[in-house]
Amino acid sequence: MSRPAAYVAAALLLAAGLVLATQLAGTRGTIRVQATTTTSLYATGLLDELARAFQAKHPGVRIEFIPVGSGEALRRAADGEACMVFVHAPSLEKRYLEAGVLGGHRFIAYNFFAVVGPRSDPAGVREAGSAVDAFRRIYAAGEKGEARFVSRGDRSGTNVREMALWRLAGLDPRGKKWYIVSGQGMAKTLVMADELGAYTLSDTGTFLKLSLDGRIPGLALLYTNSSDLMNVYSVYLVKGCRGEEAKYARMFADFVAGPEGQRIIAGYGADRYGRPLFYPAAGHEEMLREAWSRLAEG
Amino acid sequence: MESLAAIAARSLAISAAATLLAATWSLPLAYAAATRPRLRLAAALAEGLVGVPTVLVGLLLYFLLSRRGPLGFLGLLYTPAAVILGEAVLVTPLLVAVSYQVLAAAVSRYAELALALGAGGGEALALALREAAPELLAAVVMAFSRAVGELGVALLVGGNIEGYTRTMTTAIALYVSMGEFEEAAELGLALVGVMVLVALAVRAARRLAEDG
Repeated sequence: MSRPAAYVAAALLLAAGLVLATQLAGTRGTIRVQATTTTSLYATGLLDELARAFQAKHPGVRIEFIPVGSGEALRRAADGEACMVFVHAPSLEKRYLEAGVLGGHRFIAYNFFAVVGPRSDPAGVREAGSAVDAFRRIYAAGEKGEARFVSRGDRSGTNVREMALWRLAGLDPRGKKWYIVSGQGMAKTLVMADELGAYTLSDTGTFLKLSLDGRIPGLALLYTNSSDLMNVYSVYLVKGCRGEEAKYARMFADFVAGPEGQRIIAGYGADRYGRPLFYPAAGHEEMLREAWSRLAEG
Repeated sequence: MESLAAIAARSLAISAAATLLAATWSLPLAYAAATRPRLRLAAALAEGLVGVPTVLVGLLLYFLLSRRGPLGFLGLLYTPAAVILGEAVLVTPLLVAVSYQVLAAAVSRYAELALALGAGGGEALALALREAAPELLAAVVMAFSRAVGELGVALLVGGNIEGYTRTMTTAIALYVSMGEFEEAAELGLALVGVMVLVALAVRAARRLAEDG
């Protein structure tokens, strides 16, 4: 090739090499602990805050979160791609526990799912006496052509709870014209519900965040805080994990479930949303264990 | 989930419609660029935008079609029509860029000669198109391949609604998010199989047309 072209090529190669070198240098010596988690939990920012606090005490350790769907988070952890997993899908968790790939189960937090829908609330969910009652009202309104419901249809923690509630209500909405099965994440599902003026089940974190950002002006939080809407967050350690990463994964799990982590969790979001997004698990292990067992059957 | 056959049929129909729709404005634009030197910039832009991220096209269309957006009154969001529109926009740069190259060559090779020999403008155009037809068809097949394999547009403006806007790519994404990697891979291979079959079928049809 001609001389100027050769110079340009050499310069590009050198630049690429420098970039690569700086990237590698940045991570050398750092212990990277990888944790898979669900997008809804990650999106609240709680995990990053916990990681920051932990990393301040342990410089040289970096917690890296991989946010994906619940099923994927558990699967990837089980495949050995991460040393720990933060999830809230008891029925899926149970399967992996029984398969023997996960251990070290600790409860870290809980909150409640919420039935959200159009402000006009044609189904009268605001007056419901329970989540099951709310679903019955939505079903009735749907059959009358007055309401629609968007389901995530992706076996996420939220979707699993939604299906359990339909079952408890003795109803099967699948195939109904007013029942829309969108295979999407929580944020996209909320946006779709807002667009279509439909009801849906959501975790409070994603709903509050989107609401505050003005992305879902047509949706209101209509019903929450009942025991059948409890959302239990857990952390697990991956059994096949070894070495430094395993050690610090355990330490981070202990940190999150311990007094410092629980304090951060208890206060998280209060300044931004006016209310904390999570209740700490500390002191409620008995209640959570019972709730978890019940949910794991669903 | 609904059957693979239903999802595949829907993917094919949506992407075929999108590709044909894009062709209606891309081919004339490419021809104009091939015959008017001042429009050559359009072809250069098209070349650069061939790889535009599908999620970006999806987002832009979402802003247009959402209830609060300028075209919200059309009520197209979360319908197959929105996906067709989005994919048509997506493959336009590819169609324009490739068709431009093909037509520029055909025009310089045939049309100018025809004009020199006394043919009219319309006849020269028809001649150039006829000679370039096989290559233009190849461009259309490539555009179809990009359309049927894209994810961002279908996901964002289609919503992956079962029985309505779920395509093969959005179904694959869903399987992955559920941790069902094997099912996702099977579906992915089926999609690739479809892409190859379409290309071969078009080629076979061309052969038949040439021989017939």
